[in-house]
Amino acid sequence: MPSAVRYENATKRYGDSTTAAVDRLNLEVAAGEICVLVGPSGCGKTTAMRLVNRTVELSEGDVLIGGESVRERDPARLRRETGYVIQQIGLFPHRTIAENVGTVPQLLGWKKDRIAARTTELLELVGLDPELGERYPAQLSGGQQQRVGVARALAADPLVMLMDEPFGAIDPINRERLQNEFLRLQAEIGKTVLFVTHDIDEAIKMGDRIAVMREGGRVAQYATPAELLMAPANEFVEDFVGADRALKRLALMRVSDISLWEAPLAHVGQATAEVREKLRGAEVPYPLLVDAERRPLGWLSERDLALETVPARPGSPLGPLLDLDDVMRDALADLLQGEAQYAAVADRGGRIAGVLSVEIISEFLASPAAKTEEHGAVERPK
Amino acid sequence: MNASIGGAIEFIFEPQSSNVTGGKEVGGLSQVIELTLNQLELTVLALALSLVVALPIGLYLGHRGVGEALAVGLGNVGRAVPELALIALMASVVGVGVLNMTVALAVLGVPPILTNAFVGIRQVDRAPVDAARGMGMTEAEILFKVEMPLAVPTLMAGIRGATIAIVATATIAPLAGVLTLGDFIINNNVYGQNGLLAGGILVALLALALEFGLAGLQRLLTSKGLRLSAA
Amino acid sequence: MILAAVGEVGEGFFKERTSETLPCQAKSTHLFCFDWAKENIDSFATPAQQHVEIVAISVVAGFAIAFALALVAHRRRWLQPPLLAATGVIYTVPSLALFFILLPVTGLGRDTVIVALSAYTLQVIYRNVTTGLANVPSAAKEAARGMGMSERQILWRVELPLAVPEIVAGLRIATVSTVALATFAVFINAGGLGTKIYGSGNLTFPTSIVIAGGLAMAIAFAFDLILLAVQRRVTPWRRAAQA
Repeated sequence: MPSAVRYENATKRYGDSTTAAVDRLNLEVAAGEICVLVGPSGCGKTTAMRLVNRTVELSEGDVLIGGESVRERDPARLRRETGYVIQQIGLFPHRTIAENVGTVPQLLGWKKDRIAARTTELLELVGLDPELGERYPAQLSGGQQQRVGVARALAADPLVMLMDEPFGAIDPINRERLQNEFLRLQAEIGKTVLFVTHDIDEAIKMGDRIAVMREGGRVAQYATPAELLMAPANEFVEDFVGADRALKRLALMRVSDISLWEAPLAHVGQATAEVREKLRGAEVPYPLLVDAERRPLGWLSERDLALETVPARPGSPLGPLLDLDDVMRDALADLLQGEAQYAAVADRGGRIAGVLSVEIISEFLASPAAKTEEHGAVERPK
Repeated sequence: MNASIGGAIEFIFEPQSSNVTGGKEVGGLSQVIELTLNQLELTVLALALSLVVALPIGLYLGHRGVGEALAVGLGNVGRAVPELALIALMASVVGVGVLNMTVALAVLGVPPILTNAFVGIRQVDRAPVDAARGMGMTEAEILFKVEMPLAVPTLMAGIRGATIAIVATATIAPLAGVLTLGDFIINNNVYGQNGLLAGGILVALLALALEFGLAGLQRLLTSKGLRLSAA
Repeated sequence: MILAAVGEVGEGFFKERTSETLPCQAKSTHLFCFDWAKENIDSFATPAQQHVEIVAISVVAGFAIAFALALVAHRRRWLQPPLLAATGVIYTVPSLALFFILLPVTGLGRDTVIVALSAYTLQVIYRNVTTGLANVPSAAKEAARGMGMSERQILWRVELPLAVPEIVAGLRIATVSTVALATFAVFINAGGLGTKIYGSGNLTFPTSIVIAGGLAMAIAFAFDLILLAVQRRVTPWRRAAQA
């Protein structure tokens, strides 16, 4: 596959300093991939990204988009073909949302109805009501503004998207939501994205490939998230990724990736003797009450089992209810939050699929199966 | 003092006989209108000239971010120039007449417009400007489509200041041979005490009218989005 | 003596010109006449002094009023827009007009000038005091409140000191503008340097105008620097931060 963006010995020096902000960077980004540039502040990742649309000019070397050197393009025209999203968003306060989104199409001379149609399409794509188009930025929340920023960058259907800490200024809850939405968007439109962040967790979540950078824009490792976590190339990467690499791997898996335990199932009105029989030798030592459609209702307590038949209301509450599609890290968080040893896992229809516990997770991480499996490169947890 | 509001109003509307001019009439609506128009004409011409000179320079320097010492320093120095001395000097050295007065008044209007243009552009939030550049707007497009609309309040404040300074100084244009409402004031031996008061009232009204008009213009020019974000 | 020095300095910038039958200063083409300047420089002393007096009194009076108004409005937010507008209207009315509207009330002479000039300074000073107080970081006020300071103490010990730069900036603008405007005092028989520009019913001549104008500007800058020095003195913490 032809690379969408290629850095060839790209170098940036400021003034007459001898140290380069970006020193002979060589990197290839495949089309349709999200390439994350991550590293400590000052390592040159933002500068490297800006070399692509010439908001920072190359000192030496070259950057090629689709095989064409950026040096040979007029900067303004070049930028109209690259989407650009910055941390502070930078919406034009004096223009409506619709006018903001339509900025580049307008610069390119599109017809009014085409711009209007595209604006509506984009606002819906980023999860906003098209009616908001008539409002002004000051009337929107931070999360909404950031979505408009993304829509604006996509307006003219650019070849490449440049995103510089786009979700950095948002609160953590909305940030997660926006990240998920962007990944969903990317699954639909498949743009080539250069994404800069200083947050390794964000990098792992968002990136198809990650370039861990150190000062001078030097690439310490360029690999998929899984490779990064399982086989860090050197001490710098190891330190940067963090000692909790194992936990981080959980972000790459889903509950469905693991073989779950089974709990003995009980129905309302069933004879408790049967249930007690099932309990012997079961993986999970607690019976789970389910309804006629095998949907979990709660856990049966000792007192419940002392009765003749299974009561309609279980002694212990259900606690956290997980989904097969859940990201493993979130599932673990729910387990720990609910202070539950075991959590019922339901499938898409709400029917019981198995039981998850912390033990299962840690066993799995330690197992050889987890080490050799290839995760995350193409399929992303949604 | 034998001037009164009543007397002043009379002066404005009815021609009065004056002792000094040997019975020739002074005052009255037609003379008032003539002098007001003169003053207005001077103001408009001088303002236009100042705008043409100061606005481009201020906007350019502000956009490029250079020349702060010049722009701000000019504002400070301009404030210290005594208008009377400026006009008097121009009249004595260069000569009298509408053209000379216009130039002198324009000189007065340049500092506030230039300084405010510079400061206004500089104070615009960097994020929209950065986004605009990254999206592919040319430098000129950034200046006209992003920076200027966002700098309207400061820009207009400078223009309003310049207008008031110009119309105020146009009052003493009679010293340079251009008859404006200030004639009632300066040559009050001809026009009498009522004329003096009338002159003061008329100049004040003229200035307020201009200020009001410009405030309305500013409101028109300020984008609704800008007003919302300032709130 | 200072005035003579100013005349000496001017020598470096202007060239002397030969005179014909008319005395140097009478020729309209001569921008600056040294001989006349040297001889008559003393005659500028009184007007300059009057000028300084007028300005000083006006600014002090204007400041006192504007400051008081701003303090009143500080606690009662709803007063701020109307006060700002009211002071703004006075500011808009050209000083000359203001002089003459006041004439029937205060009569010819210095009082009229002072009232008018004070009124003129109101808007700038009021606006800057209000803005200066508004820009005080709320963290500082919160801390002070938490320490048990009364509202009054917070105002005088925390808010006002922190607002000094903004306030003094307004004072400087007001003062410099007032110096320039005070030349109009001549039209009201109140003296000042305007008398050297517009004598009894006629413009004087270039040399006199230049000296008068130059002196006015010099006075303006002197006031400006003094105020700046006072500000530096009163806000030692800013110097420390910049050091």
